[in-house]
Amino acid sequence: MKYIFIFGSVILLALGLITYLSFPDSTTDVPVIYWVTDANPARIDQVSGFRDWLITEGYVNDQGEPVVRLELDSSNADTTKKIIQSVSGVAGDVMDLASGLQLQLFEAMGVTYDVTDDAARLGFGLDKTFAALEPELTIDGRQYMFPCNVSASMLWINKATFEKYGQPIPPERWTFEEFERMGKAFVEAANKDRRPGDRVFYVDNLNFIEMHRSLGLSIFNETLTACDLDDPRYVRTISLLKKWREVDRLIPSQDDKEAFDAAAGYGGLSAQLFNRGNYAMMRSGRYMLIQFRKFGQLELDCTEYPHGGFPVTTIITRAVAVYTGSKHRDLALLFPAYLASEDYSMQIVRDADALPPNPVVTSREAYLRPPDYPNEWGVHEKFLDAANNIAIGNAYSPYILATVVAKEMRWYLDQFDEDMIDAEYAARETARSINERIGDELKRNPKLQVKYDKAMALQKQIDAKLEAGEKIPASWVSNPFYRRYYEEQGMLVTELNKASNHANHSASETSETSMEKPLSVGTEAKGEVVQAVQVGEVSL
Amino acid sequence: MSGKSRRQILTGLGFLAPNIIGVLVFTIFPVVFSLVMAFSNWDLTRHNMFLNESIEFVGFDNFVELVTNDRFSRFLGNTLFFMMGIPFAVGGSLVAAMLLSQDTNAGGGRRFVWLLSGAVFVAATAVLAVMGLGGTGMTLLLVGVAASIMLMGVAGGKTVYRTLFYMPHFVAGVATFILWKKLYNGQTGPVNNALRPVLDAVANLVNMLPSGMVSGLMWLGVLVFLGLMLWTTRWLRRSLVDGDLGFGALVLPMIVLLIPVTVAQRWGHAQPFAMTLLVGVIAILVLQGVLYVRTGEKFSCNAARGFGSALIVCLFVMVGQFVVLGLSAVTNYLPAMASDGLEPPNWLTDSDWAKPALMMMAFWAAIGSNNMLLYLAGLSNVPGALYEASDIDGASRLQKFWHVTWPQLAPTTFFIFVMSTIGGLQGGFEMARVMTQGGPAGATTTLSYFIYQEGFETGRLGYASAVAWALFILVFSVTLFNWKFGNRYVNE
Repeated sequence: MKYIFIFGSVILLALGLITYLSFPDSTTDVPVIYWVTDANPARIDQVSGFRDWLITEGYVNDQGEPVVRLELDSSNADTTKKIIQSVSGVAGDVMDLASGLQLQLFEAMGVTYDVTDDAARLGFGLDKTFAALEPELTIDGRQYMFPCNVSASMLWINKATFEKYGQPIPPERWTFEEFERMGKAFVEAANKDRRPGDRVFYVDNLNFIEMHRSLGLSIFNETLTACDLDDPRYVRTISLLKKWREVDRLIPSQDDKEAFDAAAGYGGLSAQLFNRGNYAMMRSGRYMLIQFRKFGQLELDCTEYPHGGFPVTTIITRAVAVYTGSKHRDLALLFPAYLASEDYSMQIVRDADALPPNPVVTSREAYLRPPDYPNEWGVHEKFLDAANNIAIGNAYSPYILATVVAKEMRWYLDQFDEDMIDAEYAARETARSINERIGDELKRNPKLQVKYDKAMALQKQIDAKLEAGEKIPASWVSNPFYRRYYEEQGMLVTELNKASNHANHSASETSETSMEKPLSVGTEAKGEVVQAVQVGEVSL
Repeated sequence: MSGKSRRQILTGLGFLAPNIIGVLVFTIFPVVFSLVMAFSNWDLTRHNMFLNESIEFVGFDNFVELVTNDRFSRFLGNTLFFMMGIPFAVGGSLVAAMLLSQDTNAGGGRRFVWLLSGAVFVAATAVLAVMGLGGTGMTLLLVGVAASIMLMGVAGGKTVYRTLFYMPHFVAGVATFILWKKLYNGQTGPVNNALRPVLDAVANLVNMLPSGMVSGLMWLGVLVFLGLMLWTTRWLRRSLVDGDLGFGALVLPMIVLLIPVTVAQRWGHAQPFAMTLLVGVIAILVLQGVLYVRTGEKFSCNAARGFGSALIVCLFVMVGQFVVLGLSAVTNYLPAMASDGLEPPNWLTDSDWAKPALMMMAFWAAIGSNNMLLYLAGLSNVPGALYEASDIDGASRLQKFWHVTWPQLAPTTFFIFVMSTIGGLQGGFEMARVMTQGGPAGATTTLSYFIYQEGFETGRLGYASAVAWALFILVFSVTLFNWKFGNRYVNE
């Protein structure tokens, strides 16, 4: 018996040793860092590009080899895994996060490293990417990420589908009314004698956030202290969306989508159906070209989302954050520096993987007129214009996690879609519920209360000025949407804007996203500075 | 203890050590630790190795929050609703086991039957390919598949059927969920494609008949409901009279029995007949009471005696009454609905249908689960002498089942019921995550999915642990209840 026992133990130990030896770390003396990202084949080229960049930039050891080796870890890209591994101290050295939505959560957990100073030193600061991305990359005025790619969403147009049904191509900018009128004419012309599961829709999807923003309404108020969705503009948005989906049938319902006998590939089902002509338009970013190029030379164009008076789109990013618990943090910081390089951005341009993080390359012919894809000429400028001119980052309140906000909104939207409640009730309850959650968070986290009280005092002043029809100092407004909206409407105090544009911008970002920052010891001081700046601005 | 014995014990412990350590580290420790967490304010966004804020004990705050959270009660309601499928699932697996214990082997000519079954299947597929995915094509395919399966069983004997029936258990859950999602699609799913011609025929029939006649079916439902009530209360009264049931044991079963009529009073769709039901139920109760007083108790017994039997019977009847209630409501609206033609439901995207849709899928999975295997084993253990004796007594098939098979299977049924209850309370996570993401409007969010949402989407580990422990208390109470009273039922 003891021999069996010993034999079993030896086998287990041997297997453990073999497993250990199979780790990349054990086969090289060069430190290895892991990049937790998706399983996109383009990542392999990007990893080898990083190696080349290290050599070019002189990050090499005595043997001329790169000082660090980057390994892909796509098996841990799931958000839940990232959360658990991060708080347990065993996450990848650099990891992809989806915009500020995930950054807010991960930063709150204290697992994302503040790269502000290193970004300035290594050249991957905010000035190296699109300005509209600031709310997605920073919290409390501090930078935590740098983009891998950037996406300002628009509506892709398959021109062949419009020609097929003799319908006009939508204009570059259009209102809700124009959208509805043209959409109704389109679906009527396109859906004569069609069998179920083969219906043609005007567009695959529209987002209610872009819609209510285009009516001048954000989820939160100017100081991000309360949810403002109990508003007729939100009621109009969700009612319109439902009408377009269920009555006019311009947008497919969930059941419509699942009825299509097409399989989802990269880019989801929508890309296949866009190519097949079931969707005349598709809401997406430039990254969808990866899939479109596989379909051959689609006749493409794009247009902005229909608007209710204020043309707007969202901007999102898949960005890299450096893990606080990384054993090779200094080396891991080289990776975002590589992402800011023109070499990397050119790779993104070639792969058509959304907009490149560094906009410098977007003026090049390779971006504007890729020689192999003349069918795309003309659309690349539009995505760039959208990112530069109408894209606004999301509003993240410091007093509630964005994931919780999304959940509350979905809860009442679902009930509205199911006819269990009406639009007014949905709007009222959404706002009430989010504000209640903010109250809960303040109770659980008294440190936030001081900050909240100051912001509320500021909000009262803003409300008073708005009511009196007076202009508001830009620095008072933390919500990136309102800052832009009021600016466009001429409601901001311009002198202040010019005088302290950058500082105020950072300060206002602070209250926008500093929710969890005061929790960490190292950032409490920063929070105080920010509050001081705010108070100073209020006095102005 | 001799040296040899000590060595043997150490060797044994050595072999067991990996397992014991595994259980301690990965089961016992997390369970105990989660209990501690349930009384803390542990929030991943504030408490982890990278943040200095300390975790605080908050007493019963998390539990207070969950009982005052209306979503918790809604999700608990969803979980309990899904559990109403358990009696059907248990019954289904019993029927399946009884069918599968029959020999279906055709004997000679197997090759011919195999060929025939293959030909039927190929022909059905060809028709489908030619005619597309329309209702007729899909119906033909379903008929073809059913026919070929039957023929395969005839050729291959019961082994083929047993394998097919057990398939839901050994096919990965996620794969079957995706398959069912396709089956349930409102526009192109085979379920609705098969339903459409049936509903068209029903609509035509209803439109041809005078509306009063169809609505009259509602009153038939009311009669069935009251009939069930009468049968059950009569059985309870007789049990009381014969000393098989104590007064104390009657309380909870009676409450269970009165749930459907109470729900009917509050349910809008049942309003046309709710009052009739109430009056009927009261009349029945008065009648049974009068009859009991007139007859008197023939045998006295312990107050708790017969509780398990009475409760199980009342639970089954309650589920039946709910089904009748639903059907009655449907027949009431049928003429109005049929005037524009009857449309099959959007199973997974309609909050009224999502739960029944998932229940039906779970029913399918449960029929071919380990329950069926347990019943098969149980059936093979029923002594043949009992059947021979009942044959001699001239018992019918039904009587043989009721007086021989069912009592002999009581321990198996009890075990299955206990395990299904535990599984039902804990389950629903995979189903909700893959098929509906807990929607629409939270209609399919179960407690297990709620725990996941709170723990990993908002990071509130303390609160999520409290929900998990609330669920544990529920599971433990129900199981304790089952053991205490169900065991007695089995032994009786």
